[in-house]
Amino acid sequence: MKRKYAMITGISELAPIKDPAGQKTLALLAEAARLAIADAGLHNTQIDGLLVTPPSEDSAFMWPAQVCEYLQIRPSLLNMVELGGASAVGAVSRAALLVKAGLVKNCLCLSGGVWDSQVFNTLQGKKSVMSQAEIDFELPYQPLGFNTGYALIAHRHMHLYGTTPEQMAKVAVDQRKSALLNPLALFNQAPLTVDQVLQSPLITDPLHLLEIVRPCSGAAAVVVSNERGASLHDSVSILGWGEAFSHNSIVYAEEITTSPVKESAHRAFGMAGCEPADIDLLSLYDCYPITVLITLEDAGFCAKGEGGIFVTQHDLSYQGDRPCNTHGGQLSMGQASFAGGMSHVIEAVRQLRGEAGERQVARNHLAFVNGNGGVMSTESSLILGRTEYV
Amino acid sequence: MCNPTQFYFEHLNKGELWLQYCPECQRYIFYPRSHCPGCWSQHWEWHRSQGKGRIYSYSVIRVSSLGGDGEVPYIYALITLDEGVRMASRIVDCGLQEAAVDMPVEMTLQTFGGQMMPVFRPVCSRPG
Ligand SMILES: [Zn+2]
Repeated sequence: MKRKYAMITGISELAPIKDPAGQKTLALLAEAARLAIADAGLHNTQIDGLLVTPPSEDSAFMWPAQVCEYLQIRPSLLNMVELGGASAVGAVSRAALLVKAGLVKNCLCLSGGVWDSQVFNTLQGKKSVMSQAEIDFELPYQPLGFNTGYALIAHRHMHLYGTTPEQMAKVAVDQRKSALLNPLALFNQAPLTVDQVLQSPLITDPLHLLEIVRPCSGAAAVVVSNERGASLHDSVSILGWGEAFSHNSIVYAEEITTSPVKESAHRAFGMAGCEPADIDLLSLYDCYPITVLITLEDAGFCAKGEGGIFVTQHDLSYQGDRPCNTHGGQLSMGQASFAGGMSHVIEAVRQLRGEAGERQVARNHLAFVNGNGGVMSTESSLILGRTEYV
Repeated sequence: MCNPTQFYFEHLNKGELWLQYCPECQRYIFYPRSHCPGCWSQHWEWHRSQGKGRIYSYSVIRVSSLGGDGEVPYIYALITLDEGVRMASRIVDCGLQEAAVDMPVEMTLQTFGGQMMPVFRPVCSRPG
């Protein structure tokens, strides 16, 4: 039923770090690269493609060249993929395209870096992630960055569909249950309840502190290859991908409660030749619970407006009937620079390989992975499958 | 040709909200820009807006973004103007619990960093 496009042969993920002091972006990326090619059973000279997501603090000028110089690799194709939080999934899908086209045999997708909240809480830091139009026509009113963008979506979703704060909190709660079994997660010490989420301070209504992702430093890498090679792991194939865009600033989205996931997921499912009912595992970009609700709706896992009902009717934990973000999601894992989006790819690969340890899901043939950039601006969707079953 | 952004802000400082309008597409344009996003033409016109519209969505902001200037809480909102365009703004003269999606609002002006900017207040008597 499905064609094989390319394989994921290597993965790596560094433990997220709260304190950026003493960390260097290139050092984090180098360590993630070393671990990923070891996982793939490759030597660094076999890497002939490099796709890297942007640095948050280092100069982005000639960034792919900076990375290749540091790693002393000479790929036949190098590029930076800048789609905000969708960068990581966008890099993996582009790698699959390059491998499938025969241009590259082993493409290293690198994501991550140092994140210093002190830098990003300054006016200059805020402006560094805004367009000129946002600076001119939004910043004077002092929105609370991305938080307020998603708060606007959540409020309108509540208004149109009757979505409740309890329903949104449930996403963070179920993901925390899985995070307790993830040694890498920043927040893996104690379970979370819906009441705890709703009693945490309101930051930008209706978002509470415990529904807002925690930025941190970290890095992760994926190797996409044309053949299994020396990998000792169960093989994971990239079966389909799709991308879509609707706006840069959420102010100008046609309808803010409907995202481009509608198109990106449709394209990915079409390429893979499968549908939402076939999917065993969900790995959905989760900067806030409302992002997960809207992704579930727009990807076709439930009807439009019923994301809130869906998450209360299903157990999203690794033990549940609809496992979603079994690494804890970014909400429990932490959002490592732009590597936040890579963590969703990596958890899907772990689960499909059957290497998720105590949080292994029961059925692991097919996974749907979604990367989300900006305020539901740019969406990149992936369908991954355990090769022996596809 | 006058820079559209500059034109927009200069007229706000006179207390007036002006929007670009494309006669070809028969649509208003916001934010101000060089080309109509519908047909990519530069043959747009400036039309003065009455500044009436409705709340599209909103959020009460309770934490100051730049380290506490005593201003919080305030209501940040997206407004759909009667002309059909949407803009970010704030809701003023309105209780934090009173703001609601679809509430009719009208423009007034407030100064932010020396620049007059449109903000919006509830209109009680507007027909639905
Ligand atoms: Zn036009």
